[in-house]
Amino acid sequence: MATLIQLKNVEKHYGNFKALAGINLNIDEGEVICVIGPSGSGKSTMIRCINLLEQYDPDGEIIVDGIKVQKGKNLKDVRAEVGMVFQNFNLFPHLTILKNIMLAPMRVKGTDEKDAETAARALLAKVGIEAQANKYPSQLSGGQQQRVAIARALAMKPKVLLFDEPTSALDPEMVGEVLDVIKALATSGVTMIVVTHEMGFARQVADRVIFMDDGQIIEQGTPKQIFDDPQEDRTKSFLKAVLEH
Amino acid sequence: MFLPVLSRAQERDETIIVGANIGNVPWEFQDTDGTFIGFEIDLVNEIGQRLGRNVEIVNIPFNGLFSAVQSGRIDIAISSIGITDRRLESVSFTQPYYDSDQSLTTVVGSGIESLDDLRGQIVAVDTGSTGDMWATENMEKYGFSEIRRYEGLAPAMLDVVIGRVKGYISDIPALLYYTRDKPNLEVVERIPTGGQYALMMGKNAPLVIDVNTVISTLKQEGFVNGLHSKWFGTPAEDNTSTVEVRSMPMPDLELASNFVETFLNMDVFMQTYPMLIAGLITTIQLGILAIVAGLVVGLGLALVRLYALLPFQIIAKVYIDIFRSIPLLVLLIIIFYALPFVGISLSPFYAAAVTLSLVSGAYTAEIFRAGIEAIPKGQFEASQALGLNYRDMMKDVILPQAIKIVIPPLTNNCINVIKDTALASVVAMPDLLKQATQAQAVAANPTPLIAAAVIYLAFLLPLVIWVSRIEIKFKAGDR
Repeated sequence: MATLIQLKNVEKHYGNFKALAGINLNIDEGEVICVIGPSGSGKSTMIRCINLLEQYDPDGEIIVDGIKVQKGKNLKDVRAEVGMVFQNFNLFPHLTILKNIMLAPMRVKGTDEKDAETAARALLAKVGIEAQANKYPSQLSGGQQQRVAIARALAMKPKVLLFDEPTSALDPEMVGEVLDVIKALATSGVTMIVVTHEMGFARQVADRVIFMDDGQIIEQGTPKQIFDDPQEDRTKSFLKAVLEH
Repeated sequence: MFLPVLSRAQERDETIIVGANIGNVPWEFQDTDGTFIGFEIDLVNEIGQRLGRNVEIVNIPFNGLFSAVQSGRIDIAISSIGITDRRLESVSFTQPYYDSDQSLTTVVGSGIESLDDLRGQIVAVDTGSTGDMWATENMEKYGFSEIRRYEGLAPAMLDVVIGRVKGYISDIPALLYYTRDKPNLEVVERIPTGGQYALMMGKNAPLVIDVNTVISTLKQEGFVNGLHSKWFGTPAEDNTSTVEVRSMPMPDLELASNFVETFLNMDVFMQTYPMLIAGLITTIQLGILAIVAGLVVGLGLALVRLYALLPFQIIAKVYIDIFRSIPLLVLLIIIFYALPFVGISLSPFYAAAVTLSLVSGAYTAEIFRAGIEAIPKGQFEASQALGLNYRDMMKDVILPQAIKIVIPPLTNNCINVIKDTALASVVAMPDLLKQATQAQAVAANPTPLIAAAVIYLAFLLPLVIWVSRIEIKFKAGDR
């Protein structure tokens, strides 16, 4: 498989605080990666650097599909290939569900309105909420809103999907419906990086699990290796704390 | 309901309060120490002495003198006020002590040598003065393109010198005195109107008779003519009211002054109604222009302030801070009276529109900035992650949400802009307030001011109520 994303010595400082301390990571096309680790370990910061929502320090380098991720005119090409789903959904509250999904294809790709609507309805069917097309985000439950957010990201036909703790803001009974949608996507061949606290989900869908702490990748491997036979002490104590919880 | 016009000053103590439009040379003005001096100042001081009463002079603009005597805030008004029948309906006058005419004053070498040269030109007058009344009556005859109304001699002369108006029609003695040491200005024509100046007092105020008797005595003693010599260099002719004792101009005693007739006079209202409507139209035009321009300036400034390169952000911030700090009136006067000296001469309407837009723009910018900053960061991030460019993000995502937040404060700002248009009356713009003050000076009756207040209310109160309603609705509504 070809490498789709490369992170080379990526660092990120907030003043004196080191959020990322030299990340090196290659991700293949079609790979499904789950990133786990304690809060403040740099998981979210890392994936937010991939579409430059965070600016990483100038010594490092991130390359997506052959394009360096940096400010400038190539940034829009990167962002067109990288979709993102946020913890808080971040739907546009003044637009209907349908318009939320149609906006980016129409503005960024120049898709005409009719085609954008057809595609949007198909995506809503895929995530199981086509009946809500003309409602506003505030009229939907959290789980439904997050499924719309996934559909909105998919509408741009990205090669990569970034999930930033997609179920952390949800009521427990809605976590399942969102994870089911993500699981279905995982088998569709799209490259995914999922920052998550759902260990069961990570074990089930990930091709590779990455454990981060203190802005570094401590350990990575197949779900079996990480969950059943972790090598590093920090991984062990994290998993012990999480799984006992 | 009959309320006698009681002098509050009179009730309080024995001091006579005299209102004067200070700056009206040589009648009442300030010497270099700030002491009030002049023909009429000397006259009222002497009258006070003869009556055994103290005299206190207060500075009140010409068109404010009428309501001041009517309300009893002052006992006597001086300012070379001419006796007219219209005024006698609402106030009382003593016997006259000066016969006057109007005059035309122009800049030497401006080519305006007489009234006939003013065809198609703008002339200056004092709001509600005899000159104003004469110019209004003769506007058609002489073909003036416009009559611009000022609050006194100084600002009017400033505009004559700048060249924005071609001539100033006002009382001849004041202008002869004013121009005597100014070689670039010239009184080119006497306009015989036969005006007579007298002390103006509240209608049928008890003091009128006493004061009038003292004036007779002072004329007989030659004191009044002595003042003429002192202030004009020569004594007055024998057959003038400066020398001869005259009778008091008698008001119609049937018409006792009462509250309704003074403040809610239907006749005065019907006469001045068309003027007020014309003023309202000017106010609305100015308000709308300033609001629209202020919105455009404000939105631009807010975006620069938030997202431009740092030096531009700083410039926008400095602009916003300066224009929110400077009093509107100060800025207006600078734009109207100072800019002509660097070659930018704006009409009163555009000077007011520019001033209001500049200031409204600064306030609007802060409102928009607050609105944009109230949009959660996630909205920006979601837009960026989807690949929207800056323009589309603002247009489709951020501003539509911000607008909803800023509608109540923006509407409040619009109300303020419309209220602030009233300040434009100081640069001789005929807005609602200006028309009302002119009408009240001509009729010597405050009814037009009351009417103007009612019009402002009728127009702004619904907006105020509407803003309160949508503020409540937005607070309750979901986002």
